[in-house]
Amino acid sequence: MDWDKLVQLLVNGVTLGSVYALVALGFSMVYGILKLLNLAHGDVLMVGAFIGWGVLGWLGGSQDPSVAVWLLIVLMVLAAMAGCGFLGVAIERFAYRPLRRAPRIAPLISALGVSFFIQNSVLLLFGANFQSYDSFDLVDVEVGVHWGPLNVWILRIVVFAAAAVMMLGLWILVTRSKLGKAMRATSFDREAAAMMGIDVDRVIVKTFFIGSALAGAAGVLVGLVFGSINHFMGFNYGLKGFTAAVVGGIGSIPGALLGGLVIGLAESFSAAYISSTFQDLIVFSLLIVVMLVRPTGLLGRADIKKV
Amino acid sequence: MRKGLVAAALVVLAAAVVVSAAVARPTAVAASQQADCTSVSLGFLGPLTGPAAFIGNEQLSWLRFAVQKYNAQRNTQFEVALGDTELKAPVARRVARRFVGDRDIMAVIGGSESQAVRVSGNLFEAAKLASISGSATAVDLTKQRPYGTFFRTVPNDSIQGPTVVNYVSRNLKADNVVVIDSQDDYSVPLAKAVAGKLRARGVDVSRESVSADDTDFSSIVANVGGNVDVVVFATQVATAANTLSNQLREQGKRAVVFGTDGAYSPSQYKPRTGYVSAFAPDLHSVRAARGLVREYNRFSKNAVFGTFGPPTYMAGWVAMDAIRKACARGGATRAEVTRNVRSTNIPSVLGGRTRFDKKGDLFGGGTFTVFKITSGKYAVAT
Repeated sequence: MDWDKLVQLLVNGVTLGSVYALVALGFSMVYGILKLLNLAHGDVLMVGAFIGWGVLGWLGGSQDPSVAVWLLIVLMVLAAMAGCGFLGVAIERFAYRPLRRAPRIAPLISALGVSFFIQNSVLLLFGANFQSYDSFDLVDVEVGVHWGPLNVWILRIVVFAAAAVMMLGLWILVTRSKLGKAMRATSFDREAAAMMGIDVDRVIVKTFFIGSALAGAAGVLVGLVFGSINHFMGFNYGLKGFTAAVVGGIGSIPGALLGGLVIGLAESFSAAYISSTFQDLIVFSLLIVVMLVRPTGLLGRADIKKV
Repeated sequence: MRKGLVAAALVVLAAAVVVSAAVARPTAVAASQQADCTSVSLGFLGPLTGPAAFIGNEQLSWLRFAVQKYNAQRNTQFEVALGDTELKAPVARRVARRFVGDRDIMAVIGGSESQAVRVSGNLFEAAKLASISGSATAVDLTKQRPYGTFFRTVPNDSIQGPTVVNYVSRNLKADNVVVIDSQDDYSVPLAKAVAGKLRARGVDVSRESVSADDTDFSSIVANVGGNVDVVVFATQVATAANTLSNQLREQGKRAVVFGTDGAYSPSQYKPRTGYVSAFAPDLHSVRAARGLVREYNRFSKNAVFGTFGPPTYMAGWVAMDAIRKACARGGATRAEVTRNVRSTNIPSVLGGRTRFDKKGDLFGGGTFTVFKITSGKYAVAT
């Protein structure tokens, strides 16, 4: 057994899994409250990646940033979170709210439309060429943890740490704050929550803002670690994020984290030990197995229905 | 409600069938149908979006430049019809059908990628429509002359393979090499040929494979041993070669990346140290092409270009010459245009003359050039 390789793959899988977990959280939050699959969520991540890239260019680019690198990264993440948060609110206001009482297929089709709209808007604005963060110029690969044959670039640590902090923050928000309580109540029974005086519309808007902001942050993290971004990257990350949410148990925050890590690690190990040709096959087989064995996902709970 | 939904779905399905039939029908346009030459287009078949968009957009820009220049010099009215393949074979076939059915299109420039040629070659041949590629290099596109109307203005991989092998084994003196393909019609045969030839020279070779859509190679890099000298990456996605190179450094691997022609992009593949092979010279460094480069820079407002554009410029020039000759007596058929392309013999901006052999390859084969990249700067190595 090659332990060095094993540990390296673990690092790769955790990095990828952290990104998937952030995307999964957005899916979980929206599904938890509206029972809606926000198929445009991956494209929100893509917009976040482009906002981060724009801020990077505006502040001098990777080779000659006009502010300290750590500050630049923080600004990129914050700008992407804010931009995507408002984008999420706009999507909810114009694409989903008018269809809230429509059959469930209607918002799903609306979500697909939003997804194409966002993709093509970015294509028109920035062109079809891949854009690069050039993050290896921004932070040298030598900076990081070098322990024997194990090499962990500092940006991979940043991705994991940022994802962990955001998930912890969200966990605290949902379990300890008034807004979190309102979100849980709305998720449990929207009508009853409204009768108890909760402004359901406002809770939904805030949920979209937070979920989309997390996707925006994930977009910047993807750009930082993997370097290149493009207008159709959202599809893949959206699909994997959604898979992570379902595997972990859609609606569950720890489930999103667990699902993300499971999918990230499965991809990483299957690409190295089997073949990258089959990595998607393995990931989606995993999804099918989890659905067969535990339909609510690893940490999901079945809905209690009054009869 | 459910009945309504089913009815709506049936209506949509019926509409889709009608539309598909309408799209599919034009293949029946007779090859012998005569165009009146008042409105003639060149179809461009290449990736304008997707992971290889940089290739298609550079080629399209040079094709438009050629058309503008040709129209100004010869008082013609050529236009360009766009066909985006997205680097996907089924999309390329759909576009090819459209081109076949468009009677204004008298020649096709492309497909840019080998897989696009493979799925469109038979359609174009059946319609006697000439297609001239400025970048498809797979050997079997011309080996047995499977597509009678296909031509290319670049050398093929039977020259690229040995060029890469010679450089890796003789100049870089590599003992241990990893060869990666991108799971497409261009990269798999090329990677297989390179790996086979390196093994025959006693080099220790291992094979890996990635998808053209992959953006993270860290797991593949984990498989690259510390004793590997070179990673030969057959790809059409320059950013992928760049990411691979960076991730090798990230994981402390000493191997350098040797990208094949699809990776040539000074703006997207810029490793600290690396190599790339190219099927055409970089015109920036060709003294005789200075005037043309200046003109192109004016035309494109200083767009960055590498080695993909100029061969497509030549492909466009060949096609327009062939159509103009065919139209000289007032009307032209696609078959006449194809015959004229076959007998082309004109000076090339890439040096020498553009002339095709019986299989549609460049007469004499042509050469590949190896570039060494140091901190993102390209310099000719051979």
